[in-house]
Amino acid sequence: MRSGPAAGHDGILHEAGFYGSDEEFLALVLPFLRDGVAAGEPTVSLFGPHNQSLVRDALGRDSGVTFIDGGRHYLRPAVAIRRHREMLAGYVAEGAAQIRIAGDVPHPGTGVPWEWWARYEAAANEVYDEFPMYGLCPYDTRTAPPEVLEDVRRTHTHLVTAGGDRVTSPGYRPPREFLAGAVRPWTDPLEALPPAVELTGPSLVRARNAVEALQPIAALDIDELQGLLLGVTEAVTNAIRHGHAPVRLRAWAEPGRVLVTVGDRGPGPADPAAGLIAAGGPGGLGLWLTYQLCAYVSLRHGPEGFTIRLIAENPAP
Amino acid sequence: MRRTGFVDAVDALGGHDHVSWVFDDPADYHTVVDRFLADGRVAGQRVLSLLREEADGPIDPAEQLRFWADATERALADGYTGLRVAADSTRLVATPEGRAAFGRYEFMIDAYMARHPLSGLCGFNRAELGDAAVAELAGMHPLAQPAATPLRLFATAEPGVAAVLAGEIDPAGHEQLRAALRRIELDPVGGAVTIDARELTFIDHRALMQLVGHVRGLGAATVLRVGRHSAVPRLADLLQLRDLRAVVS
Repeated sequence: MRSGPAAGHDGILHEAGFYGSDEEFLALVLPFLRDGVAAGEPTVSLFGPHNQSLVRDALGRDSGVTFIDGGRHYLRPAVAIRRHREMLAGYVAEGAAQIRIAGDVPHPGTGVPWEWWARYEAAANEVYDEFPMYGLCPYDTRTAPPEVLEDVRRTHTHLVTAGGDRVTSPGYRPPREFLAGAVRPWTDPLEALPPAVELTGPSLVRARNAVEALQPIAALDIDELQGLLLGVTEAVTNAIRHGHAPVRLRAWAEPGRVLVTVGDRGPGPADPAAGLIAAGGPGGLGLWLTYQLCAYVSLRHGPEGFTIRLIAENPAP
Repeated sequence: MRRTGFVDAVDALGGHDHVSWVFDDPADYHTVVDRFLADGRVAGQRVLSLLREEADGPIDPAEQLRFWADATERALADGYTGLRVAADSTRLVATPEGRAAFGRYEFMIDAYMARHPLSGLCGFNRAELGDAAVAELAGMHPLAQPAATPLRLFATAEPGVAAVLAGEIDPAGHEQLRAALRRIELDPVGGAVTIDARELTFIDHRALMQLVGHVRGLGAATVLRVGRHSAVPRLADLLQLRDLRAVVS
């Protein structure tokens, strides 16, 4: 039996809440966590350092809540999905009737591009739906830009207020509908510069060699470089196998960072959730691995064809 | 200690070395053979050059192996330090059946060379065979030219190690890897096949799954020895390949 608003509900219940102060944040989150612990449900607090310490201080020791470092967990959407699903499956195997997870998803207000996290919030409704998950995503209205808040309303089925009111989100769109059109592309400043590398119809080895040749400028960490080379191999393979010629690779580099785009004249993957989960579709597993191994991945569909953009980046020191 | 790697020349090769030489012009090949054999003479080896090997059908790998093992023993008995052979094997590998048999032989003779004082240079004429066929054969040697093959699968004298896999494997090399795996005997030890992949600089997830799947078909788990910069441990973890163990060494 699931406790609280999710009683009688199947699959994920995906709520968002908006707050403008520490007090409002706690008013949103504390009842959610306390009710979970009281019901004997696995209850997880997945925030960055500031919010996590607010929750810890308010709940005191031995609260029964599991704390996970949100910064590491929410590094990349496909990584978050993989970790979430492993965690949910583990709790279900132990007999949990419901798992509560409250967490803050990154956005430009926290210094991270929104595009793939918007895709994450939409895909969450699908990729966690096989589990009895009750998720609460609080957003800080002081830092989150308006377009983020708008997407949040469209990707969560319910909205809650600090006062405890709960409404069905009128703007909610089914994930595939949202993913098919709503995700705003963004351009990296590097892309405004002439590319350091531009290849038409490269072989896989030529594509890798060209990207690796940027190392004197970029000096990527070895893990980042290996992840990018795997991603480039997948992108060019998919473009050759599933796209339409010509395949074009462009790459830019700056210290600590390499950006690669691979484009073709084809329509790109049909599945809007492509890459976020390790499933189905031609090239699906390779794209999912790319999402795991690169610092940032985005997919652009346009009249000219399909382009995948991969970014490798050394972690902040 | 014998050499492994991609080479542009055959200078200073030792008594256990096994190199493939892909050529477009027979005159270039003869220059390379002269150098290879001259080094052998200086090292006190008996040297032989088979200019153009011919056969009616695919070779018998076991019979060939016995022949060269006997010849090596005779060279030692006659007071040489070993035997060194250069052979243009183009005519033996002109058909798929010929290549399959010769590929099996390459791995068997390579395992023999790793343990005995036999060294060899195998010549293949690309102008006659084409890129894909020469890659298949060059890829069964510890030493090959970089333009001949992206990957190499060969034998080692190291106890407990079934084979060495080196170079780069991406979708362009999947078919070559599949063919190479079919041609070699990977003997499981204690339920596992250990492959030295320390010189494997790139492998994509499909090739990794193909390799592990091949070994699984032998009823064994795969142990891959990898270098410290290898992406294999991360791939193995993400793909949840439970019968693959990557050992960093």
